[in-house]
Amino acid sequence: MNAIEIKGLTKNFGEKQALSGLNMTVPVGAIYGFIGENGSGKSTTEKIICGLIHPSGGTVKLFDRDYKDSDVRAKMGVLIESPGCFPSLTVWNNLMIQANNLGVENAEEEIRRVIKLVRMEGAASNKFKNCSLGMKQRISIAMALMGNPTLLVLDEPINGLDADGMRIMREVLLDVVKDGKCTVLVSSHILGELEKVATHYGIVRGGKMIMEMTADELESNCRTYVAVKSRQNDVTLAILRRHFIRVEEDESGYIRVYDDVKAEDVVTLLFSNGILVNEVRTDKIGLEEFYIDLMNKKEGSGYANY
Amino acid sequence: MQTTNQPTFERNTFKKRLTTMLKVDFRRMFTSPFAYIMLGISLVMPVLILVMTTMMDGTVSVNPQTGVEMVIEGFDNVWQVIGTLSSANATGQMSMDMTAMCNINLVFFISSVLVCVFIADDFRSGYAKNLFTVRSKKGDYVISKTLVCFVGSALMIILFFIGAMIGGAIANLPFDITGTSVGGIICCLLCKVLLTSVFTAIFTTMAVVGKQRLWLSLICSLGASMLLFAMVPMISPLDANIVNVILCLAGGALFSVGLGFVSKAILDKTSLV
Repeated sequence: MNAIEIKGLTKNFGEKQALSGLNMTVPVGAIYGFIGENGSGKSTTEKIICGLIHPSGGTVKLFDRDYKDSDVRAKMGVLIESPGCFPSLTVWNNLMIQANNLGVENAEEEIRRVIKLVRMEGAASNKFKNCSLGMKQRISIAMALMGNPTLLVLDEPINGLDADGMRIMREVLLDVVKDGKCTVLVSSHILGELEKVATHYGIVRGGKMIMEMTADELESNCRTYVAVKSRQNDVTLAILRRHFIRVEEDESGYIRVYDDVKAEDVVTLLFSNGILVNEVRTDKIGLEEFYIDLMNKKEGSGYANY
Repeated sequence: MQTTNQPTFERNTFKKRLTTMLKVDFRRMFTSPFAYIMLGISLVMPVLILVMTTMMDGTVSVNPQTGVEMVIEGFDNVWQVIGTLSSANATGQMSMDMTAMCNINLVFFISSVLVCVFIADDFRSGYAKNLFTVRSKKGDYVISKTLVCFVGSALMIILFFIGAMIGGAIANLPFDITGTSVGGIICCLLCKVLLTSVFTAIFTTMAVVGKQRLWLSLICSLGASMLLFAMVPMISPLDANIVNVILCLAGGALFSVGLGFVSKAILDKTSLV
């Protein structure tokens, strides 16, 4: 059983096609990082999953049931765009409304639990409109976590959070999935943070899913490279390009060799050509670089072969 | 490595859904300062109407351009602000003087603000997203909003009635029940309360159409209620009887159910964000 299974999802807004046959599979218990450029269809997909907008075509299933099934939907937590709180009410009252809305027994106890999770104990009596952006984001995460949801849909949950907030968010996400009872669909542009928690990834572009993979697959797909820096980078680049196939200079002035080669071989080669290497290291490209590389490829140029 | 459990889902019965929804809406309505402002207006308005019209009673105003003199007439009786006798309605002519315009029927208009603001707030705050994600049955939402807004509007009618009593006492107007009876007045008040369900159903539908666009909801609500406004004095006269009450009850039920289905269909077919 998959937590989310989407087949051939389409959505048109008048003339504009926001989604054009998107497929998506999110296994139960996963933290699914949903990545894509602005306007690629992430939020539209999430809104359809949450039943907030209607698809033009395709099927959406949640836990093998139709996405409109009220029993499944009652066990969802959501954070899409805005927190969905009443500005003139206190944080506590907003959380109480959500607890009542979900029919949570022992509402007060549950509110204390989620407030503690997001470290907002001191702000419960504050009016929501007086909270800072980061505090509002934490409150909206607390609202999403209310009632132990089976499926969490989070759209840009890290936006506006400080370093401590991001760490809390990571801890919360890892905590909710640890017993496998909760599945998380999270979209974010902060890929470095996403990489620390996601077990699965889906990369969307132009309303289509261009790649789905597990964290292990990403790890094996991510190329290792040897990075060198010298005082004569132009000459170094020319020498390395003569001997290796995939050589690129990055933004910080390092020359990267992506071929299957050892660092000492590169240093020896350069030394024998009279180049003194200042720095050398072996590294692996992360999700962010992998994603940027993928996005730089032209559509239809073989994402699957990456 | 995480372990995965196949989740099970509790049956979410209609009773459970509606109970939780009503709990939320009643809490929201009656913790909101705006609701108390509206209820306060309903209480104070008849006091002001009765006191001010009594003070102005018999005053002659002259149009400076035409020179035509006009005598301002106040209320002769406290009950005039609550309703008119069926014999007065039978003439078929709609009076446009101040006493005919400034009465309890104004509450039907004012309650549109309460209903539209209450529903528009759901969409403006983004709360609707949280709500409709966990509640796929739009019927629950419509039933709950209609019921809560009906209670709010009915309270406004009752407070207007109480305000009229206070205003009448302050203005020293007679509480003469010639042409009707205490039972008739109670039936009249009951009719007005039941008629709020007709207007609440209209306003709820219009608010659902307008969603976060409060101005649209208000314009549509006032426009639609204007069509029915003329029938209110006829169906709920001061000398009303049980037949009037039954008619109002039936009308309220029909409008609530009929427009409830329309509201549900609108929510089902349109985007909620």
